[in-house]
Amino acid sequence: METVVDKEILKSAGAELLPEGRRGLRIHGWEIETIRGTILTSLAVEEWEEKLKTSHLPEMVFGENALVLKHLSSNTKIHFNAFDALAGWKQEGLPPVEVPAAEKWKFRSKPSQQVILDYDYTFTTPYRGSEAVEKDREEAVAKEGEASLQWEDCEEQIDLAALSLKEPILFYDEVVLYEDELADNGVSLLTVKVRVMPSSWFLLLRFWLRVDGVLMRLRETRMHYVFGKGETPTVLRESCWREATFQSLSAKGYPVDLAVYSDPSSISQRLPVIKKMTQKLKIPRKV
Amino acid sequence: MSDLDRQIEQLKRCEPLSESEVKALCLKAMEILVEESNVQRVDAPVTLCGDIHGQFYDMMELFKVGGDCPKTNYLFLGDFVDRGYYSVETFLLLLALKVRYPDRITLIRGNHESRQITQVYGFYDECLRKYGSVNVWRYCTDIFDYMSLSAVVENKIFCVHGGLSPAIMTLDQIRTIDRKQEVPHDGAMCDLLWSDPEDIVDGWGLSPRGAGFLFGGSVVTSFNHTNNIDYIGRAHQLVMEGYKWMFDSQIVTVWSAPNYCYRCGNVASILELDENLNKEFRVFDAAQQDSRGPPAKKPAPDYFL
Repeated sequence: METVVDKEILKSAGAELLPEGRRGLRIHGWEIETIRGTILTSLAVEEWEEKLKTSHLPEMVFGENALVLKHLSSNTKIHFNAFDALAGWKQEGLPPVEVPAAEKWKFRSKPSQQVILDYDYTFTTPYRGSEAVEKDREEAVAKEGEASLQWEDCEEQIDLAALSLKEPILFYDEVVLYEDELADNGVSLLTVKVRVMPSSWFLLLRFWLRVDGVLMRLRETRMHYVFGKGETPTVLRESCWREATFQSLSAKGYPVDLAVYSDPSSISQRLPVIKKMTQKLKIPRKV
Repeated sequence: MSDLDRQIEQLKRCEPLSESEVKALCLKAMEILVEESNVQRVDAPVTLCGDIHGQFYDMMELFKVGGDCPKTNYLFLGDFVDRGYYSVETFLLLLALKVRYPDRITLIRGNHESRQITQVYGFYDECLRKYGSVNVWRYCTDIFDYMSLSAVVENKIFCVHGGLSPAIMTLDQIRTIDRKQEVPHDGAMCDLLWSDPEDIVDGWGLSPRGAGFLFGGSVVTSFNHTNNIDYIGRAHQLVMEGYKWMFDSQIVTVWSAPNYCYRCGNVASILELDENLNKEFRVFDAAQQDSRGPPAKKPAPDYFL
């Protein structure tokens, strides 16, 4: 997904690519980088399960994958990773969703010793990103609450009109944080993508769930930062959660064959909004 | 060179057959598969292979590591199609080899060898895209119904795609299943293709989805004991290391799709059994060409909102 950008365009935007071997760039005091690795090894799975106090993780956890946006002068870091997202899943702990076949299974004869597992196998997470003020590379301190990193509710909205302008994209990437095929009953997918233009950076964190024949859930968080605007650098964050059952879509006359619901971007408008939040983060001058 | 040999050569270059060739091939395959038992007997030496999922070039890598068929005797544990970009070529090559060398390759059914699943996870769309009609998908899915449900190597290693079923105590009970049908949503045949071993249950577990069995160590111990089996070989679950033993080596998962979905970065493996059933796992990486990802152009940066 990485693309080669014209050096001249980068230069005139005041941006420079990160050194060979890293993906990302520095621009207007920000360092923006994506990191990619493999899925967790069996050993790492055990470690994560212990740390998260669970015995189940998504089939594909990209434990090293991350998007990191660092505001260099303040050491403020906004980042996205699978571990924090799964900690959110564990904490939310939604009840499991039954698949259509479950109805029939209720009439099956039960094996003598049967345990019914009841964790949220959809790995639905309220995760909206992680933030920290780093003292130095080794020591990350102060999550939300401590120091001065605090998202506040706000009225401002992300300027979609400005984002619709076809400015050159200096850096674009998408990383998967985790994914599960729900044993072929649909998909659960957490990804984050970013694009950096001469005037701003913009990212979209998306949790997409489709339990075939049952429901769809889309939890999106967008962040936007406009370079060099105003006294205090401010990141805007909008979260929008949508959810619909296949039954309700069918009642509205929408098709329910699964082929229509493979790409969340094209059908998100059909899913009713159940929660919306707009917040901003003022980046501290110096911590 | 016979037509069939020519077709095999063509498929090895990842070039699909014509629709009429597929039809004829499927008819021949049907005649062979219909004679096979639900618990197909396989002689050692044999090489066990797990999920392939349409990753054609990675399967070629598998043959490089394991040796060509018919020189090597193969047992594939299902899930030939869906997810990858070359389900058509992958399945047709395996099927052509089956018709050409029926005693040197055994194909058993995975949960993806089903009409319903292939309509959601790629094989149906791929057939439509490559042939402009769904006929090839129909011929292939009809063949799926004839594929065996399990195999037993030298009466000592029971091989199945998914796992065990609470409705099945003995291999004879598997033999009585009428398998010539779409994979049902429940019952013994469904369980064999779908169930998973699970560490945290000892007996049986029901998935939080409300459908799908999980089985623990004691279930495997008792099944292996009852049927005088050394261990169970199965596939169905992605393992980063290519294979994974569970329950004190009473069951092993073999996974043969490296860099699954072209992005997981996992290795794959095959399990070679010699004439004395000595085991050797051969671990392999994705092929260069396939690991590069989709054959189509990479998506340009997108002005997502």
